[in-house]
Amino acid sequence: MHEGKTWNGPNQTIAPHAAKRPDLTMLSRTADSLYWVSRYVERAEYLARILDATTRLTNLPSSYGGAGTEWQSAVATAGCEDTFAKAYGEANERNVCDFLTFNPDNPSSIRNCFALARSNARAVRTALTSEMWDALNSAWLELQRFEKKRMDREEFARFLEWVKNVSLVFDGSAYRTMLRDDGYWFSRLGMYVERADNTARILDVKYHVLLPENEQVGGSLDYFQWTTMLREVSALTAYHWVYREAVKPLLIADLLILNRRMPRSLASCYENISRFLDSLGDAYGRQGPAQRQARKTLANMSNTHIDSVFQRGLHEFIEDFITENNRLGHTISEQYLQ
Amino acid sequence: MRIKISHSITYAYDEPVRQITQILRLTPRDHDGQHVMSWRIEPNIDGRLRAGQDPYGNLVHTFSADGPISGLSIQVDGVVETLDLAGVVRGAIERVPPEVFRRDTLLTAPDDALREFAVAATRTDATPLAKMHALTEALHSEMTCDRSGQRNGIGAAPAFAAREGIPQDLAHVFMTCARQLGLPARYISGYVAASDALPLAEGAHAWAEIHLDDYGWIGFDCANGLCPIDTHVRIAAGLDFADAAPVRGARKGGSGENLAVSVSARKAGSRQVNQ
Repeated sequence: MHEGKTWNGPNQTIAPHAAKRPDLTMLSRTADSLYWVSRYVERAEYLARILDATTRLTNLPSSYGGAGTEWQSAVATAGCEDTFAKAYGEANERNVCDFLTFNPDNPSSIRNCFALARSNARAVRTALTSEMWDALNSAWLELQRFEKKRMDREEFARFLEWVKNVSLVFDGSAYRTMLRDDGYWFSRLGMYVERADNTARILDVKYHVLLPENEQVGGSLDYFQWTTMLREVSALTAYHWVYREAVKPLLIADLLILNRRMPRSLASCYENISRFLDSLGDAYGRQGPAQRQARKTLANMSNTHIDSVFQRGLHEFIEDFITENNRLGHTISEQYLQ
Repeated sequence: MRIKISHSITYAYDEPVRQITQILRLTPRDHDGQHVMSWRIEPNIDGRLRAGQDPYGNLVHTFSADGPISGLSIQVDGVVETLDLAGVVRGAIERVPPEVFRRDTLLTAPDDALREFAVAATRTDATPLAKMHALTEALHSEMTCDRSGQRNGIGAAPAFAAREGIPQDLAHVFMTCARQLGLPARYISGYVAASDALPLAEGAHAWAEIHLDDYGWIGFDCANGLCPIDTHVRIAAGLDFADAAPVRGARKGGSGENLAVSVSARKAGSRQVNQ
């Protein structure tokens, strides 16, 4: 955990009195921007995943008996049903794709995520490495080219692939080039808080297809619903690798919630959140409510079995988690970013 | 409070051992009152160290090695962050229902003296919680605690008869009394850090937890006469010492086993900014 960190951070020239108080080495504004840059990039990637998975699901022959609500549920998973309802009427492929990708009025469209990531990044340009900045800046330029094109399905698929790649490049640049100090930790925190929220939202919208009473209804449609969930978090291969059996709802929930080996599971996100908050606490020599809260959630998840999650109610568990995760976001913000 | 723990267990054998297997319950888990910052178990010889869990959810490492082995040392180092929750244990792993812990065991078998004491010490108290506090205080003043770490436990009844024992014995006595009063009681092994509140308590320690309907599990530490505070690091739980023992082992061959244990559990000093 201690990766040879030194305090040669972005704000190296600090007044002598501030040197004794390391909590002043990074402006909270800088920390805030770093945190949000990562959150927006992660969110853009997540939107691309949802669109990709939904496109796959709707491309199935109608004899599988799809309910036709796949696009509505894509909007719900993205967490912007209200804004969507105001801007469009019907949730169909064209409307949803437009709304979640290029719509300037949707605060969390892919376009706006990249725009916000870039403008936050520009505000703290010196706190980023040039590789990170290049990733965001060229993404923004490239995005304008995509925006002008009329996209058929094939082109759209290429676009989604590109969005995921931007996130990979940004993430990889941060991992490979950033100094391991508070800047890096804030950046990672943003990513994992957002990721935990995203995975929880997928579960929140789709929890009903995982409940046992729906199993007999199931058949092939359920199978495709389940594999769609796994695809949304790139976990289909991982699933087979971990459990070595047919796709089952209980195990999907286990993989996405409690399995720490799965990098998008809630438990894995909290393992990382807790770790980076610990690093911040160590470096600043003090801890606060954010650390306590993250640890509590992590402990809760490592001491729970998926059976008892289902017994107590999967939906309640997910709802509580989303509330808790939002609360942690606020706590982090109050403790460090204001 | 941040507690740094260093625990070394060293075996030396007069005649080398052919094969050795050790079951180590030496790793804490997170719950609301504690968070493991880092933890490491290092044997000084090559062997297989497998991590697993026992039925109670305790983290168990199984270490096995082939000989000839003339000595083995296991070093455990870790840092745990704790909160004072007045003994209430929430968010811990619970694999078995509390009722299981009403069962008597060999080490917690009651005798008449214990039965009488359990009732007498708690007669004036109305609620189960008050009874347990009264029992803690009564045992704390009634029994002498030997913290030398040089002795083995002898079980609840003999220790109570002698009015003296190591922390393990006191926990067993307390649990026996609580079970006599119909309450589920479990044995906890762990560490206590020296602090202003408990200046002499440093080292490996044992206490008990009682399940009360209104609160869940609550810890009671008779050796120190209080409920566990942020100086206590909880490692393993079980029906008695035999379930939660930090180290249990078996060996083939060899003779003349000499065991040396050293434990330090201290409040971690103020951290340097440049590390």
